[in-house]
Amino acid sequence: MKFIVGEDIVLMSSEEKAEVLEKHGLNKPVFEQYLNYIGSILKGDLGYSYRSQKPVTDIVSERLPWTLLLSITNIILSTIIGVAMGTWAAWNRGKKIDIVLNNIFVFFRSMPSFWIGMIFIAVFGARLGWFPIFGAQSVWAGYMGFEKIVDIAMHLIMPTITLVILSVSSIYLTMRYSMIDVLGEDYILMAKMKGLSDKKVRYTHAMRNALIPVVTIVMLNMGYMVGGATIIETVFSYPGMGRLLFEAVTNRDYPVIQGCFFMITICVIAANIIADFIYPLLDPRVV
Amino acid sequence: MALLEVRNLTTYYETKIGYNEALQGLSFDLEAGGILGLIGESGCGKSTAGFSMMNMIEYPGKIMDGEVILDGKDLIKMDRNELRKVLWKDIAMIPQSAMNALNPAYKVGKQILEAIKLHFPEMSQEEAVAKVEHLLNLVGIDAKWYHGYPHKLSGGMKQRIIIAMALSCDPKVIISDEATTGLDVLIEAQILALLKKIALDRGLGLIIISHDLNMVTAICNRIGIMYAGMLVELTTTENVLRNPKHPYTRALFSSQIDSKDFDKKVTSVDGVVPKLVNPEDKCRFYDRCNRKFEMCERKCPSLISISDNHRVACYLEGDNHE
Repeated sequence: MKFIVGEDIVLMSSEEKAEVLEKHGLNKPVFEQYLNYIGSILKGDLGYSYRSQKPVTDIVSERLPWTLLLSITNIILSTIIGVAMGTWAAWNRGKKIDIVLNNIFVFFRSMPSFWIGMIFIAVFGARLGWFPIFGAQSVWAGYMGFEKIVDIAMHLIMPTITLVILSVSSIYLTMRYSMIDVLGEDYILMAKMKGLSDKKVRYTHAMRNALIPVVTIVMLNMGYMVGGATIIETVFSYPGMGRLLFEAVTNRDYPVIQGCFFMITICVIAANIIADFIYPLLDPRVV
Repeated sequence: MALLEVRNLTTYYETKIGYNEALQGLSFDLEAGGILGLIGESGCGKSTAGFSMMNMIEYPGKIMDGEVILDGKDLIKMDRNELRKVLWKDIAMIPQSAMNALNPAYKVGKQILEAIKLHFPEMSQEEAVAKVEHLLNLVGIDAKWYHGYPHKLSGGMKQRIIIAMALSCDPKVIISDEATTGLDVLIEAQILALLKKIALDRGLGLIIISHDLNMVTAICNRIGIMYAGMLVELTTTENVLRNPKHPYTRALFSSQIDSKDFDKKVTSVDGVVPKLVNPEDKCRFYDRCNRKFEMCERKCPSLISISDNHRVACYLEGDNHE
């Protein structure tokens, strides 16, 4: 770490340099630095930002709610859309609607995220003026109560749609494939032979079994989303973790970078634990 | 009047080069309490026949022609909504892979209950549950398994659960499609004895689809022999054993290994089943028959009566010579 601190320190005099190194504990052996770091994490202390001198814990906890808001909204929407469309396409496999949906979602999947974001800003933000193009809320407007909620929602719409377009395809494709697989199972035939309606067969018998691989995809996405929305958050200047990470990298603010990665790791692990709790609800074979 | 009348049932599968004529002109009657065996080698259309009788053929399959008359109503002409009311209530099927026919996500009792609640909506929850428990006992499974998930059951138990499920709405006809394939002989015997007993007690019509000659001859009172999508001989079990007429029936029984007579010469039938995609109009057994003559190559013989209760599709028999 101390080799890559950057140009600022190169310009300092040797006393100043010694002072900075001393302050951040960078003059100690690497192993000791590592132990100090782990020790502080356990106390909830992620160190201080080189740039703003504020505690990293504060900076991260200021940004995390926005990212969670963005990614949870995205996950809920793209799961609903992906699962519904995937089920529909699988049920109508090989028919026109299936082919059309497949093409749409593969097209979505192959578009670069920053490009979609920029098109949205240019068209719906700048030209049509429907949505705000910057930030997560109009801080200066001093909205209160319901107005504030509406304001936040309006700011959320464009980044969310962009993220949904990016993540819905993998959910759709997984759901469709998994559903096609399940629809070929003998118990589906059995359900049909029992005289159950198509709707009942589709939703009670097929969907529940087909959802299992989708939960994996969704939860993996959820974990990556916290860090993975970097591009979207940067394009929309959304004050989340992704943007914080981007800023920290450009500023060579290592404690903040470490703090971000630490939070992303926690989120990925948390998402996996949630997935592990959901599996047994869907499939009694998983205990 | 027969319980179930199947007339000229014909099912094709669409392929890129034309129709695969998997089932051609299947006709038979089934009386109440009758047990009909349908036997033939793999790919001869047995399962297609079973699913066609339930009108459960899905794309790329298509029922081209025929009637399945149950209680004076033709299942083939019904639309989906009408059919759904008849399925399971009047005609039920134990599918080939009963092992996989239970949904892994639901308790087995619930899956039986589902059928009962669907077809007897007026029945109270308690009555329906009691009925499921009674059915489980009937097939020799402890009622505590009502709350068991399918993965906790053995293969034989699953099979019996499926039988309980098939009986759940008191159907008039049950089609068992290789229901006991893959089970060990003891369980197979148990299950077949159970099915036979229930069929006789309740006056059900039972159709047993199988390739196991011993088993079919042991429990059925009538047997239909299928070859390449067609019924080639339909008669009583006694006639099949004592007086088989069609060369294929004879070949089939001479290829059977006899446990009492190890010195018996086992002969196999040379050749393979003909392609069923756009087949030529000749006897479908022509290439493998050892008694063919020029007539057999001209036109496919139809199933005709040669005596009471004995129908054969062969020019060597009856008035099939035109």
